[in-house]
Amino acid sequence: MLKIKNLHATVGGKEILKGITLSIKAGEVHAVMGPNGAGKSTLSYVLAGRDGYEVTAGEVLYKGEDLLALSPDERAAKGIILAFQYPVEIPGVASATFLKTAYNAQRKYRGEPEVDAMEFLKLIREKTKELGIKDDMLKRAVNVGFSGGEKKRNEVLQMSLLEPDLMLLDETDSGLDIDALKIAAEGVNRLRSPERAALVITHYQRLLDYIVPDFVHVLADGRIVKSGDKSLALELEEKGYAALSAA
Amino acid sequence: MKNLTPLAQTYLDRFDAARDSLPGHGNPAVVSLRESGFARFKALDFPGRKVEEWRFTNLSPLTKGIGTTETAKTDGVPAPEFKTPHIMTFINGRFSEQESSLGGLPEGVKLTSLAAELDAGNDRLLIDEADDKRAVVALNTAFMEDGFVLTAEEGTSIAEPILIRFVSLPGKGANAHHMRNVIRLGKTASLTLVEEHVGTDGHAYFANPVTDIALEDGARLNHYKLQAESDTAFHLANTDTKLAAGAVYENFALTTGARLARNEMESRIAGAGATSILNGAYLIRGMQHADTTTLTRHLVPENESRQIYKGILDDEAQGVFQGKIQIVPDAQQVSGDQLSRALLLSDRASVAVKPELEIHADDVKCSHGASSGELDEDALFYLQSRGIEEKAARKMLIDAFLADVLEEISDEAVRDYFADVSARWMEGV
Repeated sequence: MLKIKNLHATVGGKEILKGITLSIKAGEVHAVMGPNGAGKSTLSYVLAGRDGYEVTAGEVLYKGEDLLALSPDERAAKGIILAFQYPVEIPGVASATFLKTAYNAQRKYRGEPEVDAMEFLKLIREKTKELGIKDDMLKRAVNVGFSGGEKKRNEVLQMSLLEPDLMLLDETDSGLDIDALKIAAEGVNRLRSPERAALVITHYQRLLDYIVPDFVHVLADGRIVKSGDKSLALELEEKGYAALSAA
Repeated sequence: MKNLTPLAQTYLDRFDAARDSLPGHGNPAVVSLRESGFARFKALDFPGRKVEEWRFTNLSPLTKGIGTTETAKTDGVPAPEFKTPHIMTFINGRFSEQESSLGGLPEGVKLTSLAAELDAGNDRLLIDEADDKRAVVALNTAFMEDGFVLTAEEGTSIAEPILIRFVSLPGKGANAHHMRNVIRLGKTASLTLVEEHVGTDGHAYFANPVTDIALEDGARLNHYKLQAESDTAFHLANTDTKLAAGAVYENFALTTGARLARNEMESRIAGAGATSILNGAYLIRGMQHADTTTLTRHLVPENESRQIYKGILDDEAQGVFQGKIQIVPDAQQVSGDQLSRALLLSDRASVAVKPELEIHADDVKCSHGASSGELDEDALFYLQSRGIEEKAARKMLIDAFLADVLEEISDEAVRDYFADVSARWMEGV
């Protein structure tokens, strides 16, 4: 589904990614772990298409297509979602309006009919019920005044609504207590299927207790320095990143 | 004697002839009022940028040349978009009966033209203050030609808003319109007024309206102004409002028009329990310059003022917001809040913001806040990353920036109307 080959990227002229190669097949969950400053968030932003993250070498193929040639909204419509480490507050935009606009924009892009307000309400109510989210959140401005847990749950709600093929989870565990973490992980696990893939970016191993990966990669100084199965995460937890870098 | 600006000289040369043809010329009281305004204007001239209050607004494009008033034309008046049975229209500064519909006003509410009032010898509603330092107000006093006079007796109210339209149509050369408007609401009278200024793009003229408002005890005026003058027009407006005890003045000024505009307002709160609200939004682009200058004076204890302004500026547009809150000694238990925010859509657009608090009482609650900035890039990317195209995402954020101030408009029909006008402006972003 996703093939990253020798990816180099700079931010503000500084090289952050220094040659990443990684392949993700449908049905797989990959975790990328690494210390602060290793380039984890940069990798997720480059894949989502954020301005200011310049790819200087390498390529990324998504379902066989050149991902880097697509705008962020096109990537989303083609099935990629980035769950933000810090979901953005947008004062003045009601959550329901935002979700409906996004949902219909993606459908329109794919040539599917847009849904009307009634249909959408029915759909979104199903999703909020599934995730134990109160309906009044839909009336509130996007993420404004939300607790850390509510923000992450809102990210999961968007995934569950937009039904992406490739989920990029950027530090989904940061700022969450264990209960909120479990709820977020359950939401992601519910979306796991043989057709979908996920890239879970995390500093700590604990998220991987709940979203169990098929593969674990260690990112350090812009490169993947080690890959393995889920036991690699436990090893890192035990010995720390320093031991690995020294090795 | 110092050299006058060319435009002031033109007015000086015209005054003698004009005085004998302007409305009320047979009434010595009106003539003396004009003369006193003229004398002040002559002494003041149009303010230059050395005058502190005009530091950010340069009038030289106006004062270097704009001509005289023309005969009113009645064809080509655009149909009013805002729906209400009560409409009064002025074309090129003169009342047009044909384009107005003044029937159906309730007993006790009167809406007439100033020219008619003056010609009938009714000068009692006009006020001129000898110490007024505003040159454009003095100019208006000297040359006022028409305007609306709205009076509502004690306890009266109207269900539907009154729409006043000032329409400027092209003709030969340039125009200047000096409209003088008067509003008097008796005790507990209540009404909603929509004032709109529209012109044909490409038509250069100088609109100089002065509006004098007095609200007696418990009266309420919702006063909404749309300034959508032509893109080559100059619009220098002054609105003074006096509030007695328990009166409420709600003003919302939406500015989208004119090459150079200044909307100057002064609220004098002279009663306990009174509330002055001066809200607004300016949406400007190209080379437009829009200045909002307000003075809120708390003259007695126990009253309130609120103010929220939002500006959206594109291209090379320039905005100015000067908001002063003044609380005189002993005006205790007063609250005054002011917020000014500007969104810059281009790095060549700019805004000058000058909030001023002048407080001489100690038991008061005052706040002011000012900010200007670009669209939030994080928010923009967040929306795009969910599948919303960049253009649509920008529009969502701009809408959201404006939405909360539009929400402050308490009349629903006007709120919808101003939202539509704003939405059309956004189409050009």
